[in-house]
Amino acid sequence: MQSAEQIPTPGYREILPCGPQQALPVFLLARLIDWALVVAAAVMILLVIFNVAAHAVGHDLAQTTEACEFLMVWVSFLGGASIIRRSGHMTITEFIDKLSGTQRRIADFVVQLFTLGVLWILFRNGLIIVENNWGNVLTVLGIPMSWQYMPLSIGSGAGLIFVAYDLYLILCGKSREERYGVDE
Amino acid sequence: MLTIQVFGIFFIIALAGIPLYFSLIATTAGIVYFKDLPYQLDSLLLNLIGGVEPFILIAVPLFIFAGELLAKGGVGKRIVNLAQALFGWLPGGMGVVTIVSCLLFGGVSGSAIADTAAIGSLVAPTMKEKGYHPDFTAALLSVAGTLALLMPLSIPFLVFAFVSGASMRILSMSGVIPAMICAVALSIVCVRYGKKSGCDNGSKPSSLKEIWTASKEAGPAILMPVIIVGGIWTGTFTPTEAAAVAVAYGLVISLFLYRDLKFRDLPEIALKAFQTSASVLLVIGATGVLSWLLTAEMVAMQLAEWIQSVASQPWQFLLLLNIVLLLLGIFIEPLPAMLLTAPLFLPMARAMNIDLILMGVIMVMNLSIALYTPPVGGTLFVAAKLCKAKIGGMTRYIIPLMAMNIAVLFLTTYIPWLSKALPKFLFGVG
Repeated sequence: MQSAEQIPTPGYREILPCGPQQALPVFLLARLIDWALVVAAAVMILLVIFNVAAHAVGHDLAQTTEACEFLMVWVSFLGGASIIRRSGHMTITEFIDKLSGTQRRIADFVVQLFTLGVLWILFRNGLIIVENNWGNVLTVLGIPMSWQYMPLSIGSGAGLIFVAYDLYLILCGKSREERYGVDE
Repeated sequence: MLTIQVFGIFFIIALAGIPLYFSLIATTAGIVYFKDLPYQLDSLLLNLIGGVEPFILIAVPLFIFAGELLAKGGVGKRIVNLAQALFGWLPGGMGVVTIVSCLLFGGVSGSAIADTAAIGSLVAPTMKEKGYHPDFTAALLSVAGTLALLMPLSIPFLVFAFVSGASMRILSMSGVIPAMICAVALSIVCVRYGKKSGCDNGSKPSSLKEIWTASKEAGPAILMPVIIVGGIWTGTFTPTEAAAVAVAYGLVISLFLYRDLKFRDLPEIALKAFQTSASVLLVIGATGVLSWLLTAEMVAMQLAEWIQSVASQPWQFLLLLNIVLLLLGIFIEPLPAMLLTAPLFLPMARAMNIDLILMGVIMVMNLSIALYTPPVGGTLFVAAKLCKAKIGGMTRYIIPLMAMNIAVLFLTTYIPWLSKALPKFLFGVG
């Protein structure tokens, strides 16, 4: 697989930080998730600000409220996938951090394998939820609720790929510092 | 029995290093599967989605984003300059400046980590130059940064309001007096350190002109919480709308007034803010899934019976609450700890007629102490890294600072006036 190290370094500062170096397909998926998150977040912020302005002139727009809630689900699960790749979820690490070298790699492998299992549960049940809700529509926006429930399986699916790739790197003997950088 | 199983499984998984979000989902799924409970997992997981979508929670990413904007937008240095002009003349003045800066910056960021990082990066070099021990500087920063959690735009208060149904308008004001008392108590430690170590006997008092210049510079930033709180106070904004105003105001002053931020910096700030908020919101959602199961299986009721058997009086209950939260906070981040314990303690508090606002302040104060309790804690790590200090060395200096904050915690617990006075003065309720 081509690694991100082979991607030519741009001569300008990246607008979004690249995060850990990964194989090209995984890296591109991660960039897609990060940009989708930023765009969804920007739209949500603008909608809430617009809502405040509308409220100030005496209008209450139910559409913007429901659209914000819709986007909130998307940014939460896309953000969740984005931080899986950076190993940024809130974790109690005081015990696992005492391990080093091979012991740490084994512990990381077990943790990631367990996480993979949970992500699979979320992904699979997310798909069931989407499948069951095409007939139900959001009250104001009028679109199928499945669109609102979709990010659970999309975020978990992307997370599955990131965690599976991390497991592959652990099996290749890469340390935590090599996988995520020294600051992670 | 189920109570012990649920908490046992959760703690084993979480302490093994599985992220809290996945630990909560795995505990729920494991209990449903192994106890053969009659619930469909997909229906349970609807609570996960339902847990992250409420409109009020949109305030969480927005406040985090606004805090990041201000942290990167040059607000910190102007606040430090103002604090320096006002308090730099005191013995241990730089320590007092750090505390006041954290208090003021906390009023605009609402985040302890952002507060510690933003103020720490500005004051740590000067404190080192003056001869403060890096372990003391780091200890002070890790403690003072948590004052942000008691200030009006506090994110834990917002989450508590969501969980408990308490008024965010009242909560936002109820932590201010305890935060100020904490600031005074911490300042006493700094003055004593400055005198005893002889490293900082205070600089020349600033002239009125210097104070005026510093106030003018920092004014627009300090005005933000005033506008936000004013808006909430007068009923002009809901907390979510207030967060949107905070973002708009933060953008204007960082991009156009101070000009320390450029448009191309915004996507990176947004990415970081929304990643942080996703980690918080997914834990909120996953806790919602587990809470639903606990409620359906009457676990909360069983736990309430146990609590009543060991703490039947309100003062005993509040003591137990403080002890449990302080211990829990050693291991778990403040927000998950609050989300896990609030559904269990709140019904008891209601049954004992304990004010929800007081409960909120007590919970947030306890959990803010957890952020710097060695050996682990969010602000503890940030401050140690900024000052290149060792956690072991910091512990010696954290003890007196923590003792002060625990004393204020107990004062706030048993003198409800401290948390009620300001909301009562402003809103007539509390």
